[in-house]
Amino acid sequence: MNRRWLPWLISALALAVIVAGIYFPILRKRLRQATQLPPQSEEQARRELTQTTPATTSGPMTKARLFWSSGAGDGSLMPVTVDLPLTNDPTMRAKQVLNTLLAGPVNPELRTLPPDAVLLAFYMLQDGTAIADFSEALATNTPSGIESEQMAVDSISKTLEANVPQVRWLKILIHGQEVDTLAGHLDLTRTFLVNAKPAPMTAASAHASAPAADSANQSASKSASGKPASTAAAQSKSATQQSLTPATPPGKLTQPVKKP
Amino acid sequence: MQAPGTPPQTPPAQRQAPSIVVLDPAHGGTDLGARGAGGVRESEILLLFAAQVRRALESMDFQVMQTRQGNENPSFDDRSAIVNSQRGAVFVSLHVGSTGLPGTVRVYVMSDLSASNDATGLIPWDRAQAPFLPLSRRFGDIVQGFLAPRFKGSPNTAQAAAVRQLRTTAAPAIAVEISSVSMEDRDALDRMAPGVADAIARGASAFRPLYVVAATNPGERP
Repeated sequence: MNRRWLPWLISALALAVIVAGIYFPILRKRLRQATQLPPQSEEQARRELTQTTPATTSGPMTKARLFWSSGAGDGSLMPVTVDLPLTNDPTMRAKQVLNTLLAGPVNPELRTLPPDAVLLAFYMLQDGTAIADFSEALATNTPSGIESEQMAVDSISKTLEANVPQVRWLKILIHGQEVDTLAGHLDLTRTFLVNAKPAPMTAASAHASAPAADSANQSASKSASGKPASTAAAQSKSATQQSLTPATPPGKLTQPVKKP
Repeated sequence: MQAPGTPPQTPPAQRQAPSIVVLDPAHGGTDLGARGAGGVRESEILLLFAAQVRRALESMDFQVMQTRQGNENPSFDDRSAIVNSQRGAVFVSLHVGSTGLPGTVRVYVMSDLSASNDATGLIPWDRAQAPFLPLSRRFGDIVQGFLAPRFKGSPNTAQAAAVRQLRTTAAPAIAVEISSVSMEDRDALDRMAPGVADAIARGASAFRPLYVVAATNPGERP
């Protein structure tokens, strides 16, 4: 029997073992990296689907001050200046800054709001009351605790105070409803004082935009992450045209009188 | 000094506050509260903290009532009703947070709440804390003052926050939040309990002489 092929076979097998020995750790590392990627939530998928295509910014860039965690671990916030094409309309302006706040800072450790939370709608009333309606992820994914919940609300409140001078009070709704607490501690049945001396609201600027018509809802959501922000000026017009002015705001603004 | 002939002024009817502390281990039942990666559940660990706080208070002659003894979950209003039915009691709500510097403790009092009596002169239930805010602030500062030296990194004074549980409480009321369920070592969290208990008991004791209850409650007809 001719066994001349035997050394070749042994060499080929040895080569295969060596290649497998090199490739296997690489494969294992890739597999580990893949499993560590967080699964995309429905809210994230929705945000990406509704993300408007970045367009050229026609409005002037404004330095917006956004409040994220200072990183000190004590619940304190730190203002970060971000260039955004902010409009003059308070409702649109509030949406722009809140969406940028939701998008989060460059360092995700400094987030104050859950990454999959979405601003569903934002309303401004004539008396300066701002009503921010967030998706359920804000309530379900904010870490439970007085400090963490206070920090979440403070970041929203301070960001509005710094960028939308017409806001006097802030009311937070979850999916269009008033809820008892944010995540078990912080009282959301109340309104939060944002600015004791707000700029006056004009009749034209006190309006609400329906979520479906909310084309500027995502306009600034990527800016703080270093990605291009979409324009707001052109969107402002279309959103304003489709805006609604509710006779009464959604949710319950008056406290129910409860007796023990 | 009174002028001769002036009728002596009678001081308002007052009496020493009863030594009752209503302890509120937050959450319970299906509401687990904050949860740590290591499996620590706020609702469970708070019962252990409450037991130690209770012992410390009782050793200082306080009568202690708890809003829950086991894994039940009374509503916010039910918890408030326990303290609101006691004249002159104080309320301490216990929490373990998800965040914060591990090993620190913060005392919270209700942030500003406008007082508004209705036409009958009674205090609205949902703003019951409003008349007690200054006392709550005083009580909170005292307790935080006892906590700060024991737990480095803790603030020196009480913080203000819109804590839902405190809003409907018609008594000096504080929330004490321990940081945090994120501590990797559960034993380290457990070791904080005696210090927290002692500070709360000493704080309540120091606050007791400052809290003199009027013969009638605010808004109550004499």
